[in-house]
Amino acid sequence: MTDTILLAAAGFLHALHPLNLLAMLMATIVGIVIGCLPGLSAAMGVALLLPITFGMDPATGLIVLAGVYCGAIFGGSISAILVHTPGTPASAATAIDGYELTLQGKAAKALTVACVASFFGGLLSCISLYCFSPLLAQLAMKFKSPEYFWLSLFGLTIIAGVSSKSMLKGLMSGVLGLLLSTVGMDPMEGVPRFTFDFSILDSGINTTCALIGLFSMSQVLILAEKAIVKRSRPVDFKDKIGLSRKEMKRLSPHIVRSWIIGNIVGILPGAGASIACFMGYNEAKRFSKHKEEFGKGSIEGVAGSEAANNAVTGGSLIPTLTLGIPGESVTAVLMGGLIIQGLQPGPELFTTYAGMTYTFFAGFVLIQFCMLAVGLFGARGFAQIGRLSDAILIPSIFILCVVGSYAIHNNLEEVVIMLLFGLLGWLAHKFDLNTAAIVLGLILGPIGEKGLRRSLLLNDGDPSILFSTPLCWMLIGLCIFGLLSPLLMNRMERRMREVNTTTDEAPAKNA
Amino acid sequence: MKKLLFCAALCLVVPFLFVTTVQAWSPEKDISVIVAYKAGSGTDTGARLLMQYARKYVGQTLVINNLPGGDGKIGWTELARSKPDGYTIGFINLPSFTTLSLMPKSLFTVKSIEPIANHLTETCVVVVKADSPWKTLQELVDACKAKSTYRCSTNGNKASNHIAAQLFARSANFSYKAIPYGGTADQLLALRQGEVQFSCAKVADIAKLATGAAPELRVLGVFAKNRLPEFPDVPTLGEAGYYKEWYGSARALVAPAGTPKEIIAFYEEAFKKAMEDPDCVAIHQKGNLNMDYMNSQALADLIQKQLLFSKDVEESLFKK
Repeated sequence: MTDTILLAAAGFLHALHPLNLLAMLMATIVGIVIGCLPGLSAAMGVALLLPITFGMDPATGLIVLAGVYCGAIFGGSISAILVHTPGTPASAATAIDGYELTLQGKAAKALTVACVASFFGGLLSCISLYCFSPLLAQLAMKFKSPEYFWLSLFGLTIIAGVSSKSMLKGLMSGVLGLLLSTVGMDPMEGVPRFTFDFSILDSGINTTCALIGLFSMSQVLILAEKAIVKRSRPVDFKDKIGLSRKEMKRLSPHIVRSWIIGNIVGILPGAGASIACFMGYNEAKRFSKHKEEFGKGSIEGVAGSEAANNAVTGGSLIPTLTLGIPGESVTAVLMGGLIIQGLQPGPELFTTYAGMTYTFFAGFVLIQFCMLAVGLFGARGFAQIGRLSDAILIPSIFILCVVGSYAIHNNLEEVVIMLLFGLLGWLAHKFDLNTAAIVLGLILGPIGEKGLRRSLLLNDGDPSILFSTPLCWMLIGLCIFGLLSPLLMNRMERRMREVNTTTDEAPAKNA
Repeated sequence: MKKLLFCAALCLVVPFLFVTTVQAWSPEKDISVIVAYKAGSGTDTGARLLMQYARKYVGQTLVINNLPGGDGKIGWTELARSKPDGYTIGFINLPSFTTLSLMPKSLFTVKSIEPIANHLTETCVVVVKADSPWKTLQELVDACKAKSTYRCSTNGNKASNHIAAQLFARSANFSYKAIPYGGTADQLLALRQGEVQFSCAKVADIAKLATGAAPELRVLGVFAKNRLPEFPDVPTLGEAGYYKEWYGSARALVAPAGTPKEIIAFYEEAFKKAMEDPDCVAIHQKGNLNMDYMNSQALADLIQKQLLFSKDVEESLFKK
């Protein structure tokens, strides 16, 4: 225990290195900018910045990615509040009351509330990151081949179900990812398969290229398809930024409640920030003493939604770092960053690489402070950036995609792979398939395949080994839960939206 | 007057030109060092350590260029294709390099490269879990002869540690089940978790796990002609009557074929000095890396030997 505290303290010392502080600040600003641009999601921002982190120290690289992640989740609230268009789906619930406040001339108040709530949501989520991840990592030591098979299956069922409108299409996307994951070296025999003699495919499809293509490049195509429209001007606001003590006291129970909700949602694979914000908003309404204000400009509503979606960030990192099962698209990209640095998620992150991991955790805590400072002082500026024309955005993102995918191995063929995946992502968008599920299939496929084939090899082809330990049965139970969860989640989300239909609903966009 | 000046200038410059061409070559710009594995991998870490100290003796910055993929194929193909002007050198891993060079569609052979110097050698060892009932090689072999279902984790089908296990099994005449794990870390984790009963791996990878107050693994034998200084109590496989030759991996510096002799000589000397640098020696020890300098001639011999090994031994090793 004292060891952990010492490691955590050392982590803070490392994270306070000027270079790390600068990285945090820049990353948070970039994240907020990406977040407040409607149409650009957190996952795409992180994917775009991923190649920049290759040359960095692993901890600094991860801090940059986490900074973009947290910044983007908060940034979404700025455009949600000012122009009634959530910058990311995670802020859909914030738009309801946030925009009402803007119409009443209290935009600065709403932004302050969003920023403070995001800060506390993110900060509190670090607690569970510190407490639970070493424990879960310990458990991962007990995972052998059969358990890894079930674990990957669990990750697939839950993501396929929860994050799409139609479970069938979600599963289809997951299977598509699985199929793509079979390209490359056969993990057991060590011979290439489905490579069609392209040596670039020998080691499989590069996940990072696929990520940049699916999340960032596809967005270029989607944006380019539409006519370039001028974004509406944000409302000028003159009221002061800041909160009174009384208001803070009124918000704090909502922040704490939303933190717990967001955290649990975050830890569960598959359920992401977009669900958490509605849950947080709804619970805030249920427990509020001023229910009548909801929908007409309640600061409690803004706080409930924003604290919840930022609390997801810390929670969702837990399964990613410990089990290698990313719960949503952003953490899938983050995991890509981890693997590029030669780090495997799992117990080693808390033993051999504990120094790096705790520096990252400390960075994650400090990022929240960056976010608070940048958010409070820069809100007015970001409001203007939110209007950036697509005519500038499209070519810039395109260039970053190409440069990024080339930078991975200085290889032009990987740019082609990225472009193909961009096309795939665009088609997936057309057919309502789920890009996050495709990516998870791609990442989890090899884990599951190795787990299954190795288990069978170990047990002379007898599948009973897959049911041999209590841990296996536990994971099987979770898989069943994963398959049923879409039904539950859909019902829950629908109910929440119905409750909120009194106000006109914010258009939620595809993650 | 002008003419005189010109002549004087010529007299001053010409000897310099002459001297520089005759004298040993030395680089005038950054040098690209191809590493055929990704940044952060074992090969990359070793390369970066050496380059950090070699800079002083080479006089220019050595830039590592990671070209991973195809288990080394992509980087080595690039290395073979590079201009032999002394500004591109690279690391090869033996015997992976010779094995791949024999593949039907390989774009490089051992003739595509010019040896400079060997950097590291790592000997393979046989390991079991510390609480395993087998205390000696003999006990392991006896058990495996009695029952052929004992499992050995490897870092991939026909990969280096699988070859080691196969060499051991063939020479001791027992059969076992090889389970590929795709990487040394996972291979050893499986052993620690008890999913397999024994394993063969390189010393550097197991050193931390097999030493200290409460070691997790026990080393039973080493694939060498002499015992290892790190494990003086562990017998060689030859002592126990099994495989008698050295087996392990080596990482060496090479240049593309056709690189002029004086350039090779320059690097040979520079890397020798770098490997003798006390700071460099200390950091290798700290990282459990077994530095083993060989000059270009000795390295050429090693490559030839490994080529024969890849040709004759590896082929027959996996025949049923």
